[in-house]
Amino acid sequence: MYWQFSFQRAWSLASFELIRLFFTKRGALALAAFVTVWCLILYYPVSSAAAMVSSETFKDMAMQLFGTLGLSELLTWPAPELAIYWLVAAYSFPVFSLYAASDQTCADRTRGTLRFISLRASRTEILLGRFFGQVMILFLLMLFTLLAVVVMAVYRDSGVFVDTGIKGLGLLKELVIAVLPFIALMSFFNSFIRSSRLALIACLLFFGLAPVFIAVIESQLSIFSVLNYALPGIQLSDVINRQGSGVANYLIPLGQTCCYLLAGDLIMRRSSL
Amino acid sequence: MSCLIKASALNKSFGEKQALADVNFEIHAGAPVALVGPNGAGKTTLFSILCGYIKPSSGQVSVLGVTPGKSETFGRLAALPQDAQLDPRFSVLHQLKFYARLQGFGRKESQYEAERTIDLVGMSASLHQKPDGLSHGMRKRVTIAQALIGSPEIVMLDEATAGLDPLHAREVRELVASLSGETTFILSSHDLSELERLCGQVLYLDQGSLKEHHTNALQEQFRYFTLRMEQQEPELIEVLTSRDYVVEVLNSQDKEYQIKVAGESADLAPDIEILTLCHQKNWRYRQLVNGKTLENQLF
Repeated sequence: MYWQFSFQRAWSLASFELIRLFFTKRGALALAAFVTVWCLILYYPVSSAAAMVSSETFKDMAMQLFGTLGLSELLTWPAPELAIYWLVAAYSFPVFSLYAASDQTCADRTRGTLRFISLRASRTEILLGRFFGQVMILFLLMLFTLLAVVVMAVYRDSGVFVDTGIKGLGLLKELVIAVLPFIALMSFFNSFIRSSRLALIACLLFFGLAPVFIAVIESQLSIFSVLNYALPGIQLSDVINRQGSGVANYLIPLGQTCCYLLAGDLIMRRSSL
Repeated sequence: MSCLIKASALNKSFGEKQALADVNFEIHAGAPVALVGPNGAGKTTLFSILCGYIKPSSGQVSVLGVTPGKSETFGRLAALPQDAQLDPRFSVLHQLKFYARLQGFGRKESQYEAERTIDLVGMSASLHQKPDGLSHGMRKRVTIAQALIGSPEIVMLDEATAGLDPLHAREVRELVASLSGETTFILSSHDLSELERLCGQVLYLDQGSLKEHHTNALQEQFRYFTLRMEQQEPELIEVLTSRDYVVEVLNSQDKEYQIKVAGESADLAPDIEILTLCHQKNWRYRQLVNGKTLENQLF
């Protein structure tokens, strides 16, 4: 069975995902909810915590607290807003990406729309097109939130514009890499599950039971500890603390992404529509 | 005529149930092909295999020379699968343009193609509406439009006229007839008179097995006529059977007679003679069909 792929068709499928978010009523509502939540995050935790971190009174306490958590490097960043944003975003975006990407092909499969599409695009193109569509959506959402944080930091101190901008770009790269395996995991579940709600439940069970299962078999045979690398987000704490091998922090999520996409493609090509 | 679809020793099982059993057939470019059979006979399964939605359990099938579902068939084979719906969140135009883009049309061409196909099914007024705002029949016609994008070589329509009012069903039939030169249609329907009017080849599936009929083929030894009357005519069978060219007359259905004819009458052609008899005996007939009806051929 040879691999059929056309970038033009995959791009058409991916760009259609953007339209789904920005130009449909449901997408606009989801976007409005996202903006509201992030306005609250930016207004309360980010803005007020940044004031606390940068205040002389709380500096020692913050140093102690962040030091205990292994996050002391974050205090050296040009804008404390960015440090707080990073703490929130590094955990919330992967979780949010699971929700946002939960319906890549489920509804289309149930409705039969996938049958129309599969006469015009290969299943690999459908899977990867939808995956990249979700990645683009998440990229744009992360970009908007980062821009908002940079604006907040520059509003407080215009001198940090360049440093904050450069740091922000670095964070955007880290965030994109962090969410990739989560979206790919959803692509995998979407290759055989027929409802987004079920896909979310499957994800919940996966993240709840897989670590327990791995711990049990790892206790019998230590070699199975390698299975931990199948869990998306395993490198997140290292990435947040900016510790550990940089290469591993990229290789793990990228490797997980490839594996989940390959598995999803394999199932998708064999499944009935 | 080029062979568009070839199936040999095709089998499909769903667990214990065998949906298709040793199905063999060829479809050549040309007149529409009918796929008929009772409920559960395997029509939709066969459609799904030909479209690449499901894989056969065993056997070989090729569409346009390749395995169904391969990229070589994209834009060349289109289908209206039973019960498949368009995305309710986007306008009809948006979705048709998207499908045209997937088929390789540019931005402007996809707009033109969407407008052209929607016009073919008489739905131009609904181009900017969302599928949810359309009636069942209108949605069906829109999904037929998506199957016509890019003038594919093969169009498979599963129950295309089911749920359509008579006027629009007739429009769809006329559309199929008018496009038959450039496109080979494969139609699945329970309306046998519709298929009889349109199709040259009939694939009859029953419990997963295929029996092939050619509606336009000549009946070798005998000729048949089907006479539909206004009312039952008790003496019709006796009178017609007494003619030397009539072999047999069957009351095939209520007010319908199937007349088996061998050779020609001495004076007139048998059909003219039958009509003359109707006139002489004051039998009010509705229709005289040259041949057996598809229904009588199949069942």
